[in-house]
Amino acid sequence: MTPGFLGNWSLVFAFLFTVIGLGLAIGAWWAKDARYIVAGRRAAALAFVATLVAFGALEWALLTDDFSIIYTAMNHSTKSPTWVKFATLWAALQGSILLWALFQSLFTYLASRKLRDYWMSPAVLGTLFLIQTFFFVVLLFITNPFLPVPNPPADGPGPNPLLQNHWMMAVHPVLMYLGFVGMSVPFAYAVAAMISRRYQTWVATTRWWTLTAWGFLTAAILAGGWWSYEVLGWGGYWAWDPVENASFIPWLLATAFVHTALVQERRGFLKTWNFAYITLAFAATILGTFLTRSGVIQSVHAFSEGAVGPTFLGFLLLVLAVGFGLLARVGSEIRDIGSMGLVSREGLLLGSSVVFATMAFVVVLGTLFPLVVEAVSGDQVSVGAPFFNFSFAPLAVVMLLLMGAGPLLPWGRLDDYSRRALVVMLAVLAAGTLAGLVIGWTFGVSLTVGLFAYNVVALYYQVARRVAVWRKKSEGWGSAFAAYLQHSRRSAGGLLVHFGVVLAALAIAFSQAYRVDAQKTLRVGEQATIAGVPVKLLDLKAYDQRYRFAVEAPVEIDGLGVARPQLRYYPTSRTPLAGPSVRYTLFKDYYLILQAFDRQNGEWATIRLVITPMVFWLWVAGVITLVGVLMIVLPGGLPKPKEAEVGVVT
Amino acid sequence: MRWKYFVGFLIILGAIGYLVWGGLGKNLVYFITPSEYKANEGKYAGKRIRLGGLVKPGSVRYDPNTLELRFVITDGLAEVPVFHRGTPPALFKENQGVVVEGKFEGETFYGDNLLVKHSETYQAPKEGYTPEDVRRLIEEAK
Repeated sequence: MTPGFLGNWSLVFAFLFTVIGLGLAIGAWWAKDARYIVAGRRAAALAFVATLVAFGALEWALLTDDFSIIYTAMNHSTKSPTWVKFATLWAALQGSILLWALFQSLFTYLASRKLRDYWMSPAVLGTLFLIQTFFFVVLLFITNPFLPVPNPPADGPGPNPLLQNHWMMAVHPVLMYLGFVGMSVPFAYAVAAMISRRYQTWVATTRWWTLTAWGFLTAAILAGGWWSYEVLGWGGYWAWDPVENASFIPWLLATAFVHTALVQERRGFLKTWNFAYITLAFAATILGTFLTRSGVIQSVHAFSEGAVGPTFLGFLLLVLAVGFGLLARVGSEIRDIGSMGLVSREGLLLGSSVVFATMAFVVVLGTLFPLVVEAVSGDQVSVGAPFFNFSFAPLAVVMLLLMGAGPLLPWGRLDDYSRRALVVMLAVLAAGTLAGLVIGWTFGVSLTVGLFAYNVVALYYQVARRVAVWRKKSEGWGSAFAAYLQHSRRSAGGLLVHFGVVLAALAIAFSQAYRVDAQKTLRVGEQATIAGVPVKLLDLKAYDQRYRFAVEAPVEIDGLGVARPQLRYYPTSRTPLAGPSVRYTLFKDYYLILQAFDRQNGEWATIRLVITPMVFWLWVAGVITLVGVLMIVLPGGLPKPKEAEVGVVT
Repeated sequence: MRWKYFVGFLIILGAIGYLVWGGLGKNLVYFITPSEYKANEGKYAGKRIRLGGLVKPGSVRYDPNTLELRFVITDGLAEVPVFHRGTPPALFKENQGVVVEGKFEGETFYGDNLLVKHSETYQAPKEGYTPEDVRRLIEEAK
């Protein structure tokens, strides 16, 4: 038996089990018989096992250097280190789709085990199986990684060198796909809710799925940003590149959904918004793949070259048609009864979701606008970072304002406590901004400092209010705080996520405003200052690392030790790749890049130094955010949705 | 009560519209070749553009100590002198397709971002190439 044989057959079986599962879900709907659901669950399990075997077959081929299938022949090299060989599975399109299908079949199975609502189950299962069918059709007929190669090569080119350059690239896609696939479960429930006309409970039922998916998307974006920072050698973490935008759009829409879902869960309002947001968020995960994998970003003309682009576009349109088609049908039944005050928690939650949706719209527009211009006028234009920064800055300010006030306000209407807190918060905002201006920071940075202080005060007021309740029943403030954390772990997690976001905003504001970028040519042994920092070029040497060739220029930075920026030459790449060296300190990052060196005699090297303040805190903020998510989703923190509770509209 | 929401809605929509169209209008960066610039200098004056073409043989002057790079970019029909402060990228050489991002100041193009357009199959164009050939070459090299 060969990996190709095993892989192909397991894909066929996975596809068959998926189609059978789809048939059983339809049967359950038709016959109104729960036995079909039980059988459907088995089909989901079998489809997952078959996909796992296919995954194993491809790893088998990669780890044993079997070049008889197209995926290894095109993307694998015997010279790669073992971890790169393993991660090569998701380094290119076909393998990525296989990984995606693996996660989808896993999530379909997990969701099928938790089906509680007799009326909704067939449609939930059916929708998930339908999504899964799409991936297996793509895998079997368009991007099959197991296609046999008539004359297997002795060695292949290996994965894209950029991906081999950092271990983070092995992690980032996995997190991304887990986030993408996670959005399919709430979407399937939304579809089922609209089909079975049971509009209220699905948001509470899928809360866990939504939040874990959000956590994975957040982690994936952070991992991508960190990878870009450590590998790409320009000293930045975010470039508004279409590929980055593709991962950001689903995140923004999922964030909008998380906020309005809370309103529906607690107050029964905003059902229409939730159906719309989850449809858009799930569609955005498909849009992302369409944008990055069809080549359409480079040029509209690349679109028609492969089958992947049109297939994903078709599926994207299908998702939108199903979501909005159903919504149009049930729209009149789910109008909000009564009116919602805007200056209340639900009002600000809705407001923040509108801000996030607008951000998503801006990113979609900025990413697609060059395509529209090219299609209409033939002019080639690009929309650079200035556009995104210009549109995002005011939106981010509104978002940070709402973020502080939102969780503080009670449901329904204002009370005295939150009114007092708001006054103090606004005073702190003004004071913080003024202080920043007096220090001499730019207006944007000063305003962000003010907003940071405003949010910290807001968090203090919210926690203080809850802890004060426990203080009456416990010994001291310490045990009152512990009691609060224990009993309100979920809401405390939410506040921690907010703190992570506002800390990230602060880090972004400083790092964008006060970045210093300079370069200089140094002789070996020469001491000089770059951007005011005393440095010394110690040496210039070359290494043969078997799968690559590296040139290294050790540079001593005054007081910070030796940094070792490299240029790396891969056999498959004509351009060397940067191997920047970063010295992280609490308030400033020193980022060194070897730009060029003396090829003849090894006597000089051109060193670029980028000094960026506060970047370290961006990664800290990311970790804080993820800890907050964990506090929400880990078992124990979630009160189980009781039927009586979730069914009642308050 | 209703008209209040309507006015609020219009204000929000207006703000979003301003953000988007105001932002796009100012920040569109056109990709052109030297002859397209010469044909329509007024349109591109003072604007950020991406200038694509080939590095003219014999025009490259680089001083590693001052990091000043000067060369001439050509599309076969017209040529433009380029000034760029920074190290030339690894594959930067004569007859290579490049894209420089920056602005015109007088007759000289001041670049702050220099990209070499290369691909595994890259070949320097034959003698007598046209701006269309150059454009295609650069587009394919993406």
